[in-house]
Amino acid sequence: MGPRRPTVRPGDGGPSEHREQAADGGLEGLLVRVARGDHAAFEQMYDLVAGQVYGLVLRVLRDPAQSEEVAQDVLVEVWRSAARYEPGRASARAWVMTIAHRRAVDRVRSAQAAVNREDRAARLDVRRPFDEVSDSVEKSLELERLRRCLNALTELQRESVTFAYYDGYSYREVAELLKVPLATVKTRMRDGLIRMRDCLGVDR
Amino acid sequence: MSEPHTLAGAYALDAIDDDLDRRRFEEHLAVCEECAQEVAGLAEAAARLGQAVAVEPPPGMRAAVMAEIGRVRQLPPAVAAPGPAPRPAPIRGRRRDTTARTRRWPRVAAGLAAVGVAASLVLGVIAVRTQDELERLRAGDRQVAAVLAAPDARTASGSVSGTGAGRGATGTVVVSPSQGRLVFVSSGLSTLPPSRTYQLWRIAPDGVESAGLLRPDGSGHVPPVIVDARGGVEKVGVTVEPAGGSRQPTTQPILLLDVQTA
Ligand SMILES: [Zn+2]
Repeated sequence: MGPRRPTVRPGDGGPSEHREQAADGGLEGLLVRVARGDHAAFEQMYDLVAGQVYGLVLRVLRDPAQSEEVAQDVLVEVWRSAARYEPGRASARAWVMTIAHRRAVDRVRSAQAAVNREDRAARLDVRRPFDEVSDSVEKSLELERLRRCLNALTELQRESVTFAYYDGYSYREVAELLKVPLATVKTRMRDGLIRMRDCLGVDR
Repeated sequence: MSEPHTLAGAYALDAIDDDLDRRRFEEHLAVCEECAQEVAGLAEAAARLGQAVAVEPPPGMRAAVMAEIGRVRQLPPAVAAPGPAPRPAPIRGRRRDTTARTRRWPRVAAGLAAVGVAASLVLGVIAVRTQDELERLRAGDRQVAAVLAAPDARTASGSVSGTGAGRGATGTVVVSPSQGRLVFVSSGLSTLPPSRTYQLWRIAPDGVESAGLLRPDGSGHVPPVIVDARGGVEKVGVTVEPAGGSRQPTTQPILLLDVQTA
C-alpha cells in the first residue's frame, strides 16, 4: 500500500489558516507533501523542526540518550501520521510539538522514570526557562518576544505553566511543589496560557 | 468537575496525569466547541514555549530517522477525501453506488487508525494517539477499536454533495465480518434546525432499520456509531428526519455507503 493523498475538507482554508501558513513559512505545505510520502519534503521538514523537537524532549527528560530515542520516535510519528494532520485545526508546528510534548511527558511518567522523581524535584529549584538556550536559537526576535510575554505573567502563572510544560509535572504535582490549592494551579495554568496566547498573538 | 473548562490549560500542557480526569475532560471537549477552540489556541501558545528551547539535535539522529521512515508505513487520512460526491439514490435502489471509495487497511494501520479516529473526534487538536493511550480507551471505544483493528476490516467512504443539509460532510464505514459489526464515523455535519435530526440507517435485504440518531457537536463531529453488521447488511445511509427520528426513512439519503463493496 502506497502513501495516500491527504484529505482536504471543503471549507478549509479560512483566513486564520492563511495567516498561520504565512507565519509558519510553509511548514503546512511541507506536511501535506509528507502525507503523500514525499521523502524530500520530510527531509526539509526535519531540518525545520528536529532541533525544536529534540530540544523540547531534552528539556522535559534531561537525559540526552533517552531524549534522542524519544525525539526520533516523535519524528517518525510525524512521518507516519502526517495524513491525520488537519490544517484547519492547528498549525503544523503546534501539531508536531504537541506530539513531542506528549511523548516526552509519557516517558517521564512511565514507571522507569518514576524512580527518578525525587531527583527531578531536586533539580527543579534553580532552573528558569531560557537559562540553557541562550546559545541555541537563531530566531532571537521571536525568543525575545516569548521572554517578554513570559515575564508579563504573574510569578504563580509563570511557574505553573513552565513547571508543567518544561518539566512534565502534572497540575497535582505543581500544586504540591508550589504549596497552593489544586484549583488555583488549574486556574493559573489556564489564565497564564491565555495571557501567553494573547501576548504572542496566536490567532485562535 | 463542576467547571470542566478550567482544565483547558492543564490539558494543553499535558498536565492531567489522572486518566479519569483526562477522560472526563475529553468527553467535555467533544461537546464543548468553546473549550475545543480554547485548547487549540493554548496548544499553539505552548508550542511556542517548546520552540524556545530548541537545541542542535545529535548528529546521528537525522540519518537514523531517515532510515526508520523507509521502514514505516504511513497512515491513511482519518476520513477519506470527499471525492466526487454520491448522488442521493433511492434507499432500496439496486443502482450501485459507484462513488463510495473503498480500500483495505492492513491490520496494523487499521489498529492505529482506530486510535486516530477516536482522537480526532475527541481531541480536535491532534489526530494522533500513542499505543499506550489506546489501552486507556473505554469499553465502547474498545469495541470500535476491535472493529477497526480486525484483520478483515474494510472501509468505504463518501461525502455529501449539493447545497442541502450536511453538505461537505464526510462519512466512513469500517466493516469487520469477523466482528459482526460495523462502525460509522462522520465529520462536518452541519447543525440542523431543532425540528430536524440526522438519522443513520442499516439497510439489509430484509428491510431498513434505524441505527440511531446522529447528533453532531458544534464542530460537526459525531461519536463513532457501532452497528450490527450481521444478516447481510448492504448499505448504511443517512437521512434528515423530523426531530426524534422516524421508523422508516422519509427523505432521500444525503449519504449512502455501500458496505458490501467496502
Ligand atoms: Zn467547555
